[in-house]
Amino acid sequence: MVVQPGEVTRDVGGPGAYAGTAAGAPIRQTSLWRDAWYRYIRNRAAVLAGVVFLVVLAYCLVWPAVSPYDPYKVDFSQARQNPSLDHPLGTDRFGRDMLTRTALGGRVSIGIGFAATIVILVIGVAYGAISGFIGGILDNGMMRFLDALYGLPYLPFAIITLAIIGDINFWSMTVALAIASWFTTARIVRGQVITLKENDYIRATRAIGARWYRILLRHILPNTLGVLIIAVFLELPAVVLGEAFLSFIGLGISPPEASWGAMAQEGREVYRTSPHLIVIPSVAIAVLVLCANFVADGLRDALDPRTRET
Amino acid sequence: MALLDVRDLKTHFFTREGVVHAVDGVSFSVDRGRTLGIVGESGCGKSVTALSIMGLIPKPPAKIVAGEVVFDGRDLTKLGERQLESVRGREIAMIFQDPMTSLNPTLTIGTQITETIKRHFDLSNERARKRAVELLEEVRIPNAASRLDDYPHRYSGGMRQRVMIAIALSCNPMLLIADEPTTALDVTVQAQVLDLLDELRESHDMAMILITHDMGVVAETADEVIVMYAGQVVEQAPVLELFDHPEHPYTEALLGALPQIEGERIREARLTAIPGRPPDLVSPPPACRFAPRCPHAGGDSCTETMPELRELRSGHWVRSAHPTSERAGRPVGASA
Repeated sequence: MVVQPGEVTRDVGGPGAYAGTAAGAPIRQTSLWRDAWYRYIRNRAAVLAGVVFLVVLAYCLVWPAVSPYDPYKVDFSQARQNPSLDHPLGTDRFGRDMLTRTALGGRVSIGIGFAATIVILVIGVAYGAISGFIGGILDNGMMRFLDALYGLPYLPFAIITLAIIGDINFWSMTVALAIASWFTTARIVRGQVITLKENDYIRATRAIGARWYRILLRHILPNTLGVLIIAVFLELPAVVLGEAFLSFIGLGISPPEASWGAMAQEGREVYRTSPHLIVIPSVAIAVLVLCANFVADGLRDALDPRTRET
Repeated sequence: MALLDVRDLKTHFFTREGVVHAVDGVSFSVDRGRTLGIVGESGCGKSVTALSIMGLIPKPPAKIVAGEVVFDGRDLTKLGERQLESVRGREIAMIFQDPMTSLNPTLTIGTQITETIKRHFDLSNERARKRAVELLEEVRIPNAASRLDDYPHRYSGGMRQRVMIAIALSCNPMLLIADEPTTALDVTVQAQVLDLLDELRESHDMAMILITHDMGVVAETADEVIVMYAGQVVEQAPVLELFDHPEHPYTEALLGALPQIEGERIREARLTAIPGRPPDLVSPPPACRFAPRCPHAGGDSCTETMPELRELRSGHWVRSAHPTSERAGRPVGASA
């Protein structure tokens, strides 16, 4: 189903093409972006996933504004309708249009997903970069601390953080989910920084008298960008799932606001008579998570040719 | 007074296997405007010596345990990191072996040159760029102005080494350390880069330390040569003196391993190889470190005690109990 990206690296055409024929890492890295793009678009599953991802994103952002229905307006005369021409996805038990509600829920779910991913990146990059760059005892201490945090189960950690913050809203959920899941990103960044700081050009940069922060910010971190982009698409679905779970067990977004997890929770109570109320938000979560995973997979293959063909 | 005076420098690596005596009591000096060649095989401590001067040794595990590096009146080993940073690139510049990996692939050539200039001088972006173009022209990159915004992958190996030289020259340093600057290049490009280096050294009135394992490179460029073996200086002499009258058996062997393709003394015999391997620097023998591989060792003190570096003739120092000129008539491998 997937074109093996391995076969296409040498004949992709365009200015990036000769990267495949020359030896040496720097050449591969410099034409990395163009090369990676060619490799990515050859991966049909990843392209499809990317397109679906963007469509879902656009739908969530745009639809509530152009929809003829008010997602908050309760109308019991319309309650629990099955899909029809007027309501393509039916209505929920308060008579609200599900197509509009789902887009609204998506805004919250994906919004928390992206916001938490950004927080994860900020914490993870700072922690990992400091640990890897300074090294020695500090690195050892910071990594053992991380090991200890790894031992804590993800969702209970998030729930406790949420309990400590006390208030449940968009931002507290973002913070709770981010705090429970930045460890992997920190490890990835640390590993990258440790590899990169041994590079000849880092030594050469030190030899011209550059200070440590310039070496770190200008010479090391930009080179971790490829890995970070992949990390975004790996963390995003995990956070979306975490948010859905918290909302589903009643610790998340509460009505009348919507998130996919909260909608599934509402639908659970009437799943015998109106199964679409639980199926639709669940499918939405599944599609988003699946797409993000496929995009991450495609990006990993495209950005790091060495990990192909496993 | 010499520009750079290295006195009894000892740089050791503290590893799990023990203490590696990478540089073990090296002394030399470099005068203003002169070129010192440091030759020796891989692992003899050439590069560690250079990195020790710059304060760029990886610590831990490495540490300068003894000695002084007096540069322009200051002992660099006593300077803090901040002070060293303002010496690096500004007063002492360094060129590394592999130009393919010494430039950051994600930054343009221009950025990497101006970075150095702006680090040490308070120049506007525009002035720094102008200076970068001048530098690229000076190292003979064609269409310098238009190539400033190219990324390193658009440059060939030789051109990249020229860029490295341009970066090194950008702040008019007093001393340039070139650590195997031509090793990774084609032979024809090697010659061009060496000529360029020598020319620029002269026009910029710099001193240069040229580290190499290539005797030919040293012969072409250096004024004075030191030969290193297993972390020590085994011979030091002016370049012609060294090539005409090598004293240390190791130097002799190195020259014997050099192919001659022209001149009167075309070697008809096979190239001679040096038997054995360099000693383990974790626990070097207390005796002469070359003794196990030396055809003249044996029968006297040199397998038990370390020979001192002594001045055989004016300016010609050697660390051997059996220098060539004292060996006349002594049969090779006597009573070994």
